[in-house]
Amino acid sequence: MTGWYHSWLAAIRIARRDAWRSKGRSLLVLSMIALPILGVSAVDVTLRSAELSVADRMDRRLGAADALLTDSGTGGAPIEQNPHLGTPGDDNWHPVGGWDAHHSKPTSEGRADLSKAVPAGTKTLTDTKGHTPLRTQHGLLQTEVRELKATDPLAKGLMVLGEGRFPEKAGEIAATHHFLEAGGLSLGDKVKPRSLDTEFTIVGAYELPDELKLDQINALPGTFLGPLNKSLADQGLSPTGGETNYLVGSGGGEGFTWNMVKEANSKGVAVLSRAVALNPPTDSEVPYYRHNASPDSSNGTAGALAAAATVVGLALLEICLLAGPAFAVGARRSRRQLGLVGANGGDRRHIRAIVLSGGLVIGVAAAVVGTALGIALTLALQPVLEGYLGQRFGAFELRPLELFGIALLAVFTGLMAAIVPAVTASRQPVLASLTGRRGVRKANRVLPAVGLVAVAIGAAVALYGAVASDSFLLVAAGSALAELGVVALTPVLVGLFGRLGGWLPLSPRLALRDAVRNRGRTAPAVAAVLAAVAGTVAVATYTASTDAKQRAEYQEMLPYGVGSATTDEAGGRDVSAMRSAVQANLPLDVLADVQRIVVGDKKCTPYSDDAKCGQYEVYIPKANRCPLHEGGVAGSDPSERFSVEERRALAKDWRCTVEFSGDAPGTAGVTVGDEKILKVLGITDPGVVNAVKQGRAVSFERAHFDKNNTGKVGIKVVTDHKKAEEALAAGREAPGRVTHLPAHLAPEDVKAYGIQLLVPPAAAKEAGFTTVPYGLVFSTSALPSTERSQSLNGAFDKIGLTTAPYIESGYSGSTGIVLLALTVFAGLVTIGAAGIATGLAQADAEPDLKTLTAVGAPPRVRRALSGFQCGTVALMGVVLGSAAGVLPSIGLLLNQRRADEASLQRSVDEGWIGGMSTTEIPIVIPWETLGSLVIAVPVGAALLAALVTRSRGAVARRAEA
Amino acid sequence: MPDQSHLPQQPQQPQQPSRIQPVLQLEQLTRVHGSGATEVHALRGVNLSVLPGELVAVMGPSGSGKSTLLTIAGGLDSPTSGRVVVEGTDITRASRKQLATLRRRSIGYVFQDYNLIPALTAAENVSLPRELDGLSARKARVSALAALEEMDLGHLADRFPDEMSGGQQQRVAIARALVGDRRLVLADEPTGALDSETGESVLALLRARCEAGAAGILVTHEPRFAAWADRVVFLRDGSVVDETMRSGAESLLAVGGPDAAGQAGLK
Repeated sequence: MTGWYHSWLAAIRIARRDAWRSKGRSLLVLSMIALPILGVSAVDVTLRSAELSVADRMDRRLGAADALLTDSGTGGAPIEQNPHLGTPGDDNWHPVGGWDAHHSKPTSEGRADLSKAVPAGTKTLTDTKGHTPLRTQHGLLQTEVRELKATDPLAKGLMVLGEGRFPEKAGEIAATHHFLEAGGLSLGDKVKPRSLDTEFTIVGAYELPDELKLDQINALPGTFLGPLNKSLADQGLSPTGGETNYLVGSGGGEGFTWNMVKEANSKGVAVLSRAVALNPPTDSEVPYYRHNASPDSSNGTAGALAAAATVVGLALLEICLLAGPAFAVGARRSRRQLGLVGANGGDRRHIRAIVLSGGLVIGVAAAVVGTALGIALTLALQPVLEGYLGQRFGAFELRPLELFGIALLAVFTGLMAAIVPAVTASRQPVLASLTGRRGVRKANRVLPAVGLVAVAIGAAVALYGAVASDSFLLVAAGSALAELGVVALTPVLVGLFGRLGGWLPLSPRLALRDAVRNRGRTAPAVAAVLAAVAGTVAVATYTASTDAKQRAEYQEMLPYGVGSATTDEAGGRDVSAMRSAVQANLPLDVLADVQRIVVGDKKCTPYSDDAKCGQYEVYIPKANRCPLHEGGVAGSDPSERFSVEERRALAKDWRCTVEFSGDAPGTAGVTVGDEKILKVLGITDPGVVNAVKQGRAVSFERAHFDKNNTGKVGIKVVTDHKKAEEALAAGREAPGRVTHLPAHLAPEDVKAYGIQLLVPPAAAKEAGFTTVPYGLVFSTSALPSTERSQSLNGAFDKIGLTTAPYIESGYSGSTGIVLLALTVFAGLVTIGAAGIATGLAQADAEPDLKTLTAVGAPPRVRRALSGFQCGTVALMGVVLGSAAGVLPSIGLLLNQRRADEASLQRSVDEGWIGGMSTTEIPIVIPWETLGSLVIAVPVGAALLAALVTRSRGAVARRAEA
Repeated sequence: MPDQSHLPQQPQQPQQPSRIQPVLQLEQLTRVHGSGATEVHALRGVNLSVLPGELVAVMGPSGSGKSTLLTIAGGLDSPTSGRVVVEGTDITRASRKQLATLRRRSIGYVFQDYNLIPALTAAENVSLPRELDGLSARKARVSALAALEEMDLGHLADRFPDEMSGGQQQRVAIARALVGDRRLVLADEPTGALDSETGESVLALLRARCEAGAAGILVTHEPRFAAWADRVVFLRDGSVVDETMRSGAESLLAVGGPDAAGQAGLK
């Protein structure tokens, strides 16, 4: 019907001009709606732009080549691979028969010969990567070294040259912008690897479009890693692992087909092929999928989608609750105008249309402004966003349909926010609108009834979820329903507050009465505050409780204020420099040197499988080992031998409850050092101290001792790696020699911070062990400041240590910022909502104020009244919101407690955990947050409102003559 | 004191009034506000008919029921008892929707001030009832421009209310009250916020519209404005206490001036 359409046009025209006339209010509502739209559209554009097409992705990984051949690490044994190699998070292959079977074969290590997998008649280019620390302006920087002829046509697009040129001869390198920035270097500077006495000149700067944050240098093949590895070998150090890949270009044809990929797979080579990525084979052609399901992305996304929808839905509700009163103010202010429309024949439908059009106009404006700004902002911040994401956008991509959908959300929000004011305004009798006669607006009676039902059902569901089910979702859904119910109940709850009014002084009494008598306009504002505060309080309670649990579960790695630093490189050549750095930078109390046992060459690292090196461990007699972890058939889980009941019993067995945690230095459970270590760690037990002083070893674990305790503990040395591996694969014990040395058993209550066996240097020597410096433990007289910590870390970097010192500073929760941000958010919403409600109240109360002035009230009463009106709304919302927020979080915590217990029990039943215990989540009410919300925010809101209110009323307008 | 020569010509007596259908007919109208102790009788059995081409002034002191009479006549309020017949339809039985339709098509209001919707131009204000009625904006504008043009207000068409003087606003309001086929103007103190000269010009327009065939009720407490009417009805405590034909009103004005007339009206 055209009539319907035409009268809406008139309504929209009035609304549009009205919105323009009251710019302040329109802008406020517009920004409320547009801000989230801006955010969402910016995220959409960013994600869509960052999302690369398959072709783009292949260009970045392959350059101009057709395929990239990679050693699969199976020693040339045939593999089955995923055709989608190169999709982030989807790189996968496995040897034919699976990894477990592969590992049990003796020839599982070694390299595949990539050159054999290169099809005849194709061009190849080697791409080799290794890692090494390079000396820069600031110290040493761990850097990826890439040997690749970057100027080769095959490599085109892999690296994007920014300045200078790519290296053309030995002694030249190019580097990523990130490396130059991190190292304080520029073109023409020279850098030197730590273990090679050759300087390299930086001749160019480039970027990797996919890895903007990578510290990488580029050199010609053979000019960097070769000399470096030779130098490392000369110094007795292990080589930097250089992995060579082949870029293959067939120069036309169909590229590297799936059949060629399978051919390469049979030689133990994995292939990333452009042709396969662009035209993947059907699942039946992929042997890999016989063992692994083909990628299915729908799993898990449903849950995430539901969560996102909930968050967006709640955000929209919040915006509607906030913007609603603003439209109500508008409708109230233009009451006379709506009355005139009524007098000229507008019926309820027309009045509704005019107020709704207000929402429509603002919604459309917010949609346009929000999406436009979102796109503009993304465009303007593209370099920053790319830097943050660490990769260049594929193309600046706008998806009109998605953006339109997001924009539509703004229109929808605007309309939703205006619905209640529209219905309210249309019910107003025309005569009352024309004469400005006020009446107490009656609150809806159906809504509170619905609210009560929602609260009852929601609470029941949440309660059931909390005490009888493991489902977190039930508690969340129940709480959400109950909270919506409370929002609907708000008018009734506001009414209850009115009973408090009798004994208050004039201004607050007037404010409270006014708020209660006009529930129709007070309730939405209170509901908005309620919703925001309830969310904040719920999260705050949950966070505070989780934080309390983490604090209770926190295990000190060292005594408070004690630090440790170790290095296992090159036989501890850097320990003395490390000691000087610590002494120079920290206020030290006691400093103790720590050594470690080394088997074979002195430069061996503790767990090296180099032929020159051996391994060792504290020997635990068979009878003392936890049966859940020991014995059984090769390749099977030892705990599978036991029934669930037996596992539960074993979980409490002393052999299985052993738990070592701490950062006191030691390797394979053995720490070599003197009684100074005890002093640093605060171990004062006389038996222990005396034993160490007398040069005897001290064990902190009774499992080290044989049943018929002979007062000795054993250290087992394994030198034949190959035999050891075979024995382990067969489920037997690795062959090795056990050396016994006399030891004292420390009482069980002595806390050793991870030290299992402390061996004085003399005792180690006596038993025939070689020791090398390993590091330090030290106690500080005061915790170092951030600056000192930084300068200590800097000093470590300069030495070339890749490890940082650890200093125990106790538990520090990271929740403070979160709670603060939430409090500030809820505070802002509260002040905003209360402010809007106050504006509404003032529009209504102008005649009251005139009367007050006429009977002689001083001007400040006007300020006081609006202050109290604002404060009243804020206080009601905050009090109701706090109550509504604490309860669901308690439900969630109870639910999580049950879930924790159940999961612990499950892992015990399955034999995973021996005797680990968790602390129950305590229920902690965040009083500080609640206090600032309940007291500070309403007071702040009241003061703000009083401050911005004129103490003298505006002169009544007359018709302009 | 208005110059007598400005007064419109003696209107032709309604020809054979018995056969002409009145535009508005009030029969035994009563209106009681509140109940019990707060009971107020705003109107007590008022009878009044307004014929096409006739302008009736309603005078009386504050609280005499003038405005109540007007709001009931326009269907903005409903009587406690009695009938209101507008162009043959008893509006006391109409639904809210029918009343709104009636206000769009048959009845026009002019209030003391703030008659125009500030967000709309003069032409849009005039075309509003027709647009609400479902007419396209263009067609509504054509009829609005015609109405404005007819009253020599065409130059104001695209001005917003805050760009017009009070008198201009009131004249536009009269144009709106009579746009389309509307034949009944209910004016509640239309000159109350204007100086006397501007007030005269507004009433001259209203008078002219009535002469062109509309029926009008003018609520005022100023006798010199009432003198523009064909008939003056005096209300007191909700009852019609006196009724004067135009000549009578003129004689009142001639004898004692506005003040005397006002007092006479109070009797």
